[in-house]
Amino acid sequence: MGDRILLVEDDDALGSQIVGHLRGAGFEPVWWREGRLLVSGDLPDVSLVVLDLMLPGAYGMDMLKALRTFSEVPVLILSARNDTLDKVRALKLGADDYMTKPFWPEELVERVRARLRRPTLQKEQAVVEVGPVRIDLQGHTVQVQGRPVELTRVEFGLLAALARRPQEAVTRQWLVEHVLDPEREGTERTLDVHVSRLRRKLGPVKCVETVWGVGYRLVPGEDA
Amino acid sequence: MKLRLRLALTAVAVTVPAVFALVQVEHSVRRRTTDDVIIASTLSQMQSGGRERCEAAPETWMVRARSPQRPPWEREGLPDGNGGPPSGKVAPNAPPGKRPAGPRPGDEGPPRMEPRGPLGRRLPPVNLYPFDGQFVSRNPQAPALDDELRKGVREDGVGVRRYSKADGALVQDLLLRMPWDGGPCEYVLARRVEPAESPEVGLPPLYVWGVPTLILLSAMVVALGPVVQRLRRLTEEVRASSGSGYEQPVTVSGSDEIAELARAFQQARAEIQAQMAHQQAREQTLRDFLANTTHDVMTPLTVLQGHLAAMQQRMRAGEPLESGLMVSAMSEAHYMASLVHNLGAAARLEAGAPQVQHAPVDLNALVSRVLGRHQPIARPQRIALESGVPATPTWVMGDETLLEQAVSNVVLNGIRYGREDGHVAVVLETTRHQTFHLRVIDDGPGIAEEERSRILERRFRGNDARTREPQGQGLGLHIVHNVVELHGWKMTLAPSEYGGLEVAFTGPLIPPPE
Repeated sequence: MGDRILLVEDDDALGSQIVGHLRGAGFEPVWWREGRLLVSGDLPDVSLVVLDLMLPGAYGMDMLKALRTFSEVPVLILSARNDTLDKVRALKLGADDYMTKPFWPEELVERVRARLRRPTLQKEQAVVEVGPVRIDLQGHTVQVQGRPVELTRVEFGLLAALARRPQEAVTRQWLVEHVLDPEREGTERTLDVHVSRLRRKLGPVKCVETVWGVGYRLVPGEDA
Repeated sequence: MKLRLRLALTAVAVTVPAVFALVQVEHSVRRRTTDDVIIASTLSQMQSGGRERCEAAPETWMVRARSPQRPPWEREGLPDGNGGPPSGKVAPNAPPGKRPAGPRPGDEGPPRMEPRGPLGRRLPPVNLYPFDGQFVSRNPQAPALDDELRKGVREDGVGVRRYSKADGALVQDLLLRMPWDGGPCEYVLARRVEPAESPEVGLPPLYVWGVPTLILLSAMVVALGPVVQRLRRLTEEVRASSGSGYEQPVTVSGSDEIAELARAFQQARAEIQAQMAHQQAREQTLRDFLANTTHDVMTPLTVLQGHLAAMQQRMRAGEPLESGLMVSAMSEAHYMASLVHNLGAAARLEAGAPQVQHAPVDLNALVSRVLGRHQPIARPQRIALESGVPATPTWVMGDETLLEQAVSNVVLNGIRYGREDGHVAVVLETTRHQTFHLRVIDDGPGIAEEERSRILERRFRGNDARTREPQGQGLGLHIVHNVVELHGWKMTLAPSEYGGLEVAFTGPLIPPPE
């Protein structure tokens, strides 16, 4: 079962909608219809709190302040007010993220997910595995489906740069500046040539993806 | 209190004590002068024969002098009406050739005989009484001496005592040491009695001080007349002006304080009028804005309602839902949300700089937020929404809400007017010169050259900015432009290398907070 998430939302329609979407995304929501000034021990065992700022009973901001005195659980704020000061205040009080109403349920689920997986992302790993590709960043070796692949210095640098930020697009400009040899003429065209060579060497697995308008991205890929 | 009354009271309050003080000063000066005159005349009288006469008959000798200024011999022998010695005792000593003064029963001498004082006034008579070294008089008529007199004469040669009698008369006693020792006439007491009705007691006559005071008062009141009148006129004009919504001016004449006041009011009036005009213009703008906005929100809402109704009809008929209908409905709802956010941003932009927050903003997070917000609407329209940001946070200083709204507007335009299977990409890069470069690229229809420059040139005006234009670059792009300007950033609109539009922002980075 997924993570338990506490939702504090006074509006019935919005609350049940959010509960439905969270459940649909595999989470286990707990729904409180009003704010409570929590003291240590009141908080159920949850991985994240979704808190509406405009609440009857305890005002959301007060609830957040009380919560932060004893808990470090991630808090996602829902705010109808599109006011920077409000957001800045909430973030200062210890909120981790905010969403401005109206929002699409998909967006909320995405944000909850991003917040929950954040801690594991911060570690710098020595070996990155993306799909069938295994990259040893320190040993400078690459294996595809267990088979070693010989790469040039530039090709490995390229793959390592993408592997350090898996699933994220890295811009062509950045790659040109940081991976290509500055001594030799480094242009985006040269970069494209290196990428196509790299793709060939990685064989049937299509894991280096072109991101339109941006650059390249390392994805788990699928067998061709 | 009225101005004139206040001034009149002030004049009286100042004049009356001043008159009293002056009178007091004059009295004391006169008293001292009289003392000196009496001392000098008594001494000379005693030295020129008075001593001999006194020592000859100390029991009865006393002099009733009419005036210290007259030669002493003229006064000798004048009988005292209150039981003085008989005149015969003194008359034989009168110098020859002098008219003997006739004895009179009354206190007062004949007016023609009365001398004049320093101010030309009649001086009251002076009586002399002899005393010996022990301050004892052989004359039974002599008044008793007190310690004050004795002490005064021992220390300074002259003892002075003044007191008022019960009937208001002022008694002036001067005890003098004679320039010889021994004998029954070693000390002489000179006594002068000022009757109560004498002008030296109390106030000078009313005409002396009352008339000048009255003249001063009336001069003041007359001089104040025009001033008060002008003040009244100014007051009326100010009232009329405020009654007319500050349309009516007040007259400014002269160069005194009243004219200054009128000028100050004129300035205040101009200020108020400007403020009122500003306020009215603002209110008008807001009214227009609200009216147009309501219209703008109503249009997508109507479309949305239409879509929902169509869906319901299909469901009832058991037909499958058309995905295009659904996507369109979602798009309209999304557009409305964006519109409402833009209205909030527009209101803050119109209010000006004080409404804008300045805090560190991570552009990486902002881009991810914008993408998260628009992904649900881009996906069903088969538009690929992509982004690329630096590995570490990109910090800039600004108003997060406005910046997010600006980037959102550009992205939403790309999605809304993009073609199917099109692309919108947000690329954030940093340079070595501590600046960032944020580009939003699409492969949609783009914007014509003249339209692009028009968007960048035109200042934000609530009324025409909100218009939905054919390319949809209405309120949205104007807000973008204004936000960028407010942050001191640069913005360019250019055709993208993929045929669509490329909107680029450039601005300074700040060091990471903390």
